[in-house]
Amino acid sequence: MSLIHLEGVSKFYQVGDQEIRALDSVDLRIEEGEFVSIIGPSGSGKSTLMHLLGCLDAPTSGRMEICGNDLSKASQNRLASVRNREIGFVFQAFNLLPRLDVIHNVELPLVYSGLPSAERRARAEKAARDVGLGDRLANRPVQLSGGQCQRVAIARALVNNPRIVFGDEPTGNLDSATGEMILQMFKDLNAGGKTIVLVTHDPDIAGISRRVIEIRDGKILREYAP
Amino acid sequence: MNIFVALQIGLREIAAHKFRSVLSMLGIVLGVSSLISTLALTTGIERGTRAFMQQVGGLEYVNIVNKEISSAKFEFWNLSPGRTLRDAMAIKATAPLISHVSPELGLGAVIAAQDHSDRKFVRGVFPDYFVVGRHEIKAGRFLTDLDVERGLRSAVIGDEIASILWPGLKAEDIVGRQIRINDSPFEVVGVLPKYERDEEKRRRDAGKVETPSKMSRRWDPFRGKNEAILIPFSTMFYEFRAGAFPLDSMESVRLDGLTVRVGDISKFRAALDQIRAALEITHRGVDDFDLDTREEWFDRMESSIRATKLSGGLIATISLVVGGIGIMNIMLASISERVREIGIRLAVGAMGRDIFIQIIVESVAIAFIGGLLGVLAAIGLMEILKMLAPTENAPIMTLGGILFSVGFAILAGFLSGIYPALRASRLNPISALRYE
Ligand SMILES: Nc1ncnc2c1ncn2[C@@H]1O[C@H](COP(=O)(O)OP(=O)(O)OP(=O)(O)O)[C@@H](O)[C@H]1O
Ligand SMILES: [Mg+2]
Repeated sequence: MSLIHLEGVSKFYQVGDQEIRALDSVDLRIEEGEFVSIIGPSGSGKSTLMHLLGCLDAPTSGRMEICGNDLSKASQNRLASVRNREIGFVFQAFNLLPRLDVIHNVELPLVYSGLPSAERRARAEKAARDVGLGDRLANRPVQLSGGQCQRVAIARALVNNPRIVFGDEPTGNLDSATGEMILQMFKDLNAGGKTIVLVTHDPDIAGISRRVIEIRDGKILREYAP
Repeated sequence: MNIFVALQIGLREIAAHKFRSVLSMLGIVLGVSSLISTLALTTGIERGTRAFMQQVGGLEYVNIVNKEISSAKFEFWNLSPGRTLRDAMAIKATAPLISHVSPELGLGAVIAAQDHSDRKFVRGVFPDYFVVGRHEIKAGRFLTDLDVERGLRSAVIGDEIASILWPGLKAEDIVGRQIRINDSPFEVVGVLPKYERDEEKRRRDAGKVETPSKMSRRWDPFRGKNEAILIPFSTMFYEFRAGAFPLDSMESVRLDGLTVRVGDISKFRAALDQIRAALEITHRGVDDFDLDTREEWFDRMESSIRATKLSGGLIATISLVVGGIGIMNIMLASISERVREIGIRLAVGAMGRDIFIQIIVESVAIAFIGGLLGVLAAIGLMEILKMLAPTENAPIMTLGGILFSVGFAILAGFLSGIYPALRASRLNPISALRYE
């Protein structure tokens, strides 16, 4: 069975009396271990698709199955528990909590899985060490460089050992050298067996994946292997 | 999410905005300190008043007084013998709810011992007098039935009289000495203790000595008890009354006082009815007496305590409500500032109820800290009050009052956190993440 399975999934937004079809009847399967990029111009529906795949939102219509859970009509609580266990996010803007130091930022998902604090700490420390930040545990985000912040975000995405990691323009706020390094981390993760879904508008970045899905106006335009 | 984690997050948030948090606590601090103070003050007044009421005879004390007959029925006046010993006997015989009956005769007399003499009021009483008037004995004994039966020349004197006649002498040494009442010699068989109000005791304990002039200016409810000179009823009658009114017998002499004690306070109304029924007969149906009870007086005291409690409680409640609104205001400002943080927490798997708990715990923590500051403020306030007015009934802070007030503050924090917490927990993760 596929890890991700969408059938005729749509997401509409109602703005006034106008209906915006952010996603329009999308069919998509992603298998465990794949490295997929989603590309398309601005406003094409990339983020909307990622929000659905990442269980941040439920579709307006259609069938959506993620990691064996039918989430077509899921409640916010149901979505929250699936994304806590199965999904990690890496955002363009890092989205770290400014008042928390590295270790506490990394352990955040574990707080909501209800792990005892000693175990949280041990796992967060290991995740931080895995991204090369073992010596910056007590630093707060403002004391770190952009690349380091994004590595904290990756550690946080991985700490719960999820099956899928999403990146929404994860290199958008970084210089090209640092961006390269972050992309390399995604590649290494995929080599280790994680399913990776990257959202980007940059075909070069999409080129590092093995499958590119191009969308336009809320529909899948084409699919290709770079 | 664990409540301790929520508490940790909340405390960190409070610490990160110290000034704002303290501002939001002010209302709670005021509310809690005024609630505790009100409770302490009224508890103090209540205890002081209760103790005082007990000492002046309590609710059981009923005074049977003369009443003017309405002019329309004036011709009946002569029919009634007025208050006499027969009344006392009738009450004793027919009113089982009355435990003690104390008739008395009074006399303004010159009392003397050694080289001192003074004009004072002397009472002829029965042993019941000591029970009805709630007397204690300091040295010697009360008057007994034997004193009355035999018409002995025994006297029990109050503390004030003792110190006038024998200044500096101890009560034990006064017992057995001779006192002259209108030149008749009496033996002092007992000395009463010094009756005083709690506040006087405290003042004395605090080492404050007051000038006598200042003391005499203040109304002293125990003056009568402290200046008592008590002799047997029969002795009073035969020694000082029989000669002046030869037609009177001891049974028919008009009393100067008639007080009784109700045995069971829960049957107070029935007891009053029994007295009325007895006196109806002895007074031959003439309505020339009245029952003067402490009930109304006590009711008035109780209701004034209640009013103090109510107004203090109202002020405290209002400040707690205002404090709660303050917290709600701060929490709303705080969550709109933290939409993005909440979005991040939601994105990593927090559920709505985790966010709800976090906000509620934070606002309860603010209220709780405010409550503790309020307790400190109340303690300080009480000290200042005691310093300013040491003579009043000292405020008494009880653990119950403190717990109640802090609990009230916590409730205010909880209630005012609900709306902000609901709003925060209903945020949509995507729009919260996009929020700038
Ligand atoms: N909450 C919303 N309410 C109304 N319309 C929305 C909402 N979210 C997205 N849209 C619309 O849906 C469409 C797809 O938006 P989406 O954010 O998925 O685009 P995108 O491909 O991620 O663009 P970009 O590359 O600029 O991030 C857009 O037309 C957008 O205006
Ligand atoms: Mg986007």
